Amino acid sequence: MSSAQKSTKSTMTDQQVASEFTSYYLSRVTQEFAEDLDKVRAADDFKNDAIQLLVNALQQGTALFSPEEQRRIVAAEAAAEKPTST
Amino acid sequence: MGKRFSQGGDGAGAPRKRQRIVHEAPTSEDILASRQLKALLSFDQDPVRARHGLQSFKVYLDVLLQGGDGHEERFTVLTDYLESTRPWGSTAVISSRGEEDEGVDDENQVYLPEIMKTWSHYAQLGNDNIMSAVPVALALLLKLLSQNLALVPFGLGICRTLLHKRQLELISRNLTADKGKAFIISPTLRMLKEAMCFDGGAVARPIFRARASTLKALARNMGIVHIGDEDEQTAKRPSARTNAVSFLLSALKFLHPEAKREILFQRDIVSALTRDIKQDPPYLVAEILNGLRDHVLLDDKVSREAKSNLLSAATLVRISSLYYYRQPAVDESNLPSIADLAHDFLMTACTTPSCGVLRQDTGLYPRETDPDAALPSAELDELGLEAIVWMNRFKTEVPVRNFVLSNFVPNLRPWSSIKQSELVTSIFRVAPELVADFFIHNKSFTFGPKLSTTWIGYAAFLFNTVALPIPANFCRGPAFPELPPPTSIVIDNILPLPLNQKALVRCLAHKSKMVAFFATRILVIAIEKLDVAVRMHQDPSRLNKALWAEAGRRLVDEFCQRSPGIKDMINSYRSISEDDILHREAASRLLRLYYEVIPQVALMAKFDVSPFLETALGRLSKQQLEDPKDLVLSLKELENLLAIAGYSPGMRWFTASEALALSPFTTLVKVFVDAPHGVALTKVRQVLNFVAVEQQLVPAYAGHPGLLPLLESLQSIKQSSPKLIGDIWPFLDNCLTRCANAPIKYLESMQDTIQALGGSSDEGLSEAVISPITMAMLEQLPFVAKAADKAVLRALGQFLPKYLSLSAGAGESTSLLDDLFTKMSAHFFKGLKKAPVTSVADGMGPMDGQEGPATSIPVSSQLDSSVGENITDEALQILLEVPENLAADNSALVKWTNKTVDELVDEGYTTSLIALLVSEHASIRKEALINILKVAAKLKQSDYEEKDQIWLLLSELAETAKGHVDDGPLPSPIVAFAWHALKVLRDPLSSLYPKVNAFLTRGPVWTLDRLPLVDEILTEEPSVGDSYYAQLNWLLTYLLDGLRTPQDLELFHKKRVRGPLLERLLALANNSYMRLPLRTQVMRVVYRATGVAGGSTTLVTRFGIVNWLEAQRLGTKDAKEAGMYKALLRRIWSTCDREKVEKWGGKGVEALC
Repeated sequence: MSSAQKSTKSTMTDQQVASEFTSYYLSRVTQEFAEDLDKVRAADDFKNDAIQLLVNALQQGTALFSPEEQRRIVAAEAAAEKPTST
Repeated sequence: MGKRFSQGGDGAGAPRKRQRIVHEAPTSEDILASRQLKALLSFDQDPVRARHGLQSFKVYLDVLLQGGDGHEERFTVLTDYLESTRPWGSTAVISSRGEEDEGVDDENQVYLPEIMKTWSHYAQLGNDNIMSAVPVALALLLKLLSQNLALVPFGLGICRTLLHKRQLELISRNLTADKGKAFIISPTLRMLKEAMCFDGGAVARPIFRARASTLKALARNMGIVHIGDEDEQTAKRPSARTNAVSFLLSALKFLHPEAKREILFQRDIVSALTRDIKQDPPYLVAEILNGLRDHVLLDDKVSREAKSNLLSAATLVRISSLYYYRQPAVDESNLPSIADLAHDFLMTACTTPSCGVLRQDTGLYPRETDPDAALPSAELDELGLEAIVWMNRFKTEVPVRNFVLSNFVPNLRPWSSIKQSELVTSIFRVAPELVADFFIHNKSFTFGPKLSTTWIGYAAFLFNTVALPIPANFCRGPAFPELPPPTSIVIDNILPLPLNQKALVRCLAHKSKMVAFFATRILVIAIEKLDVAVRMHQDPSRLNKALWAEAGRRLVDEFCQRSPGIKDMINSYRSISEDDILHREAASRLLRLYYEVIPQVALMAKFDVSPFLETALGRLSKQQLEDPKDLVLSLKELENLLAIAGYSPGMRWFTASEALALSPFTTLVKVFVDAPHGVALTKVRQVLNFVAVEQQLVPAYAGHPGLLPLLESLQSIKQSSPKLIGDIWPFLDNCLTRCANAPIKYLESMQDTIQALGGSSDEGLSEAVISPITMAMLEQLPFVAKAADKAVLRALGQFLPKYLSLSAGAGESTSLLDDLFTKMSAHFFKGLKKAPVTSVADGMGPMDGQEGPATSIPVSSQLDSSVGENITDEALQILLEVPENLAADNSALVKWTNKTVDELVDEGYTTSLIALLVSEHASIRKEALINILKVAAKLKQSDYEEKDQIWLLLSELAETAKGHVDDGPLPSPIVAFAWHALKVLRDPLSSLYPKVNAFLTRGPVWTLDRLPLVDEILTEEPSVGDSYYAQLNWLLTYLLDGLRTPQDLELFHKKRVRGPLLERLLALANNSYMRLPLRTQVMRVVYRATGVAGGSTTLVTRFGIVNWLEAQRLGTKDAKEAGMYKALLRRIWSTCDREKVEKWGGKGVEALC
């Protein structure tokens, strides 16, 4: 990652943090519940708009994390990539 | 059901089913002149010719409306025709402002008299074709005229003509034509719509006034749709309903509020408008929704009652049916879908108070309650909440003010649609009284777990509902009422009825982990909401505190009855796979919240968090998580568990288990040290410090940084030698565990050491305190040395000096640490006998932490008589090489900004800034200078005790540096002096305190080539008692730090009045009273000079260092010291310019080596 990107990451707005956290949360939750999600897809009531409903339901969990907590998690990536000497 | 309308002239005998009408196609001809047009439209007894004329006119108007070639000529023909038919006496310019100017125009004047006559005549004869053809032509004509400003007066004249009694009768007759004759009804409605819209609604009012005719059968006509068996062309045309709706909407657009009100109060019309809305074509639905929204809902002049009449529960239900409106999947128009339009409409209608649906409620107080009722205090004292008659009344029925919404909301399906869920929760947000009401009346849908989209949708809806905030002051008012809200209503808002204990327990134990995850998340936000509600009950501002407190307790009881037991949550947490960090985080968060919000319940479970904490620590210490975000998430779980451990007694911090190789405490230290740079670990550090103080691992007095020296030294090792850190943990764990189990033993041992040292040192050891854990390390070190494990010794050789150095920097007793260091060094050298020197003692030099007084520990401690005269180059390096205190750390520029003044001075942030003045980069030096001035200013404004002297030091340094930062690094001795002088100023008891202050008051700028305090210390008397050697040590230390570059070396051998400085330092060593530590310090200076480019050559050719070393070697009786001189000579020979030296002194030097 370039230094420019890094600095952007450390000064992200709350909205950017929320959006990045949501995408992380979704990827994490789909990874953890991949098996169950497959079963839901196979159920009778899984129709066209069900995917949207499912994604919406899954990402609700981001509300459990305060903006500070979200920033801390999102910022971890940027911080970890910095050389240890700095 | 609405009244069935009469079927017009067909009477009772008419067939019940609509007859299929066969139209004969009319003939037409091209119109080329106004006279021809006039002839065509003049009254004709022959119906075929009359129809022919009207049809030709219609085709002509169609062409005109389309534009194209010859438009202007055609338009002239039309204009001429209109002029020629203009009634006598009408003015050329007719007012366009309708009835206000009625006096100007004669109402009785008939425009297009021939057409009107034709219409009237053939209507009497019942000729359907001409009854249809006239309004068709008039609608087109009005449409055309409305586009041309000059012809507007003609249009208005035609509109007025239509409002004549005779024409109104014709309109009425057309509108009430048989349902099957849509070909008559539709054009008539179209014509009326054009008239209504004409000239911005100029004649809308008169049209409304004639509503007996113009609105006749409107409701019925709004029900006439294509019946499906028409040919394709007919089916594509707008139906009578479409035309009727368009007419009605244009009326709502152009009419005044009172007229709108009257229309909206006609129930049959309002009902017909939306009854079959889901069957309408998309463009019509969009027109209805947008029209109603813009001209009714958002029109503030329309009364609430009128709006309420439109937006009945039935209307709302019909509009909500549009959520399922079927539309072609691919829509190229990019317009919002009908479902979206309906959603926006309902959101506006149901959540905006001015729309007439939403009524102001009183939050969690139902309609029939009086929250501010004054009850006799005696009754309240005796009966408590039971004194409030309505307190328990609303468990099965809740009277609400929003009855329309209460009836409407159950018709929605929030579990199957995001939008409907959003609508319902938005309604709940603005009308909180409906939450309890909704779930009381919707018991059919249970929360029984099932892995399906519907269940997930329901869970998401319940999550949203629970996540809604509690209304302000429970009542949505400015202050808390006198009486608390009914507990049943409050709990229904926190854990709605479907979320009962049985369902939730089943969810938590469900085989599908996603079900448990959803339930856990809901419980997390529910208990957070409970926390808020309980706090609101405890608000101290109210009068009936006891009553509210009782209600708060009852609320918690109710919550416990609905929520699963903590054991169920623990079991659920236990069953989560190690990889599911998101789930684990949520479950641990839930447990933590239970401990925080309802500890009385949580503690009853006697939950031992140790195994969970150990598992989490083990997982984190293995560092298996690749993504740093995952690591932080796992740390969140760990923090939750640590919080629980803090709440629950009996956490076994220092007992290693089967799962963990180390004790939980050491593992937590390891997690802290191993965490990647930048991951915030404040909470973990707080817990570590808390436990360390509790267990007496570190001193508990205020100002001691606790475990910080240990953590920082470990982090430093982790960064510099990551491979070594692994060998430290078992030793450290052993020490920590022993110290925690018997802190008294180590405190006593510390006391013994203090007493043994008593009187032998300058410092008052009675006040000296060090961390008991350091004593434990000293105690355990011999065992490690005995085992002679090379790797462990190497690791500890790096770690212990750093740790002791940082402990000294933290304010612990330097003398005591000094003593410990000596003892530890002895153990190391004992270990050396068994292990090779080079591999064991790497880095076993004095402390190099910038925050510690690096050279405050006597160097004697590093020499041991057991080491023989043959000192290798490596050993010499270990003994004489001192890390640079002035090593530039650029991060110092930003680190200091958030620190307190005490931290700035005492924890080395200021000295780090000072050190940056020797940076090679001009920008860094400039930044450093600015920051030093800022620190000085901050100090000046603070209450720091020594602020004036330190401010003076920093200001003088800045003043000195000001003119030189651009030229290059400041001379190192100057910077080193400032570095060390700051430490002196911190301690007024220091023997150098008077000299440093005297120096500072001498002048605002220092001379760069004159080294401060050298003469004062070397030649003047020590101002404080017998402190000559202590001052000498300080001087040598600062000069050692100040010798880094060839330029610095020049300052050391520059000719001065009392001789070059280096010469004077070498002469010091001849003092027979001076002890080895100071002599070694001189050797360090020499050793440092050998590392500077050209240093060794200068030493040999300018200072006769070879002879000096030989003389020193022969003069000492200590074989170890003699070995050092010899090794130093070898070092000089290996680093000098041999050609030059041989030219200077022949082969003599080499021979000595």
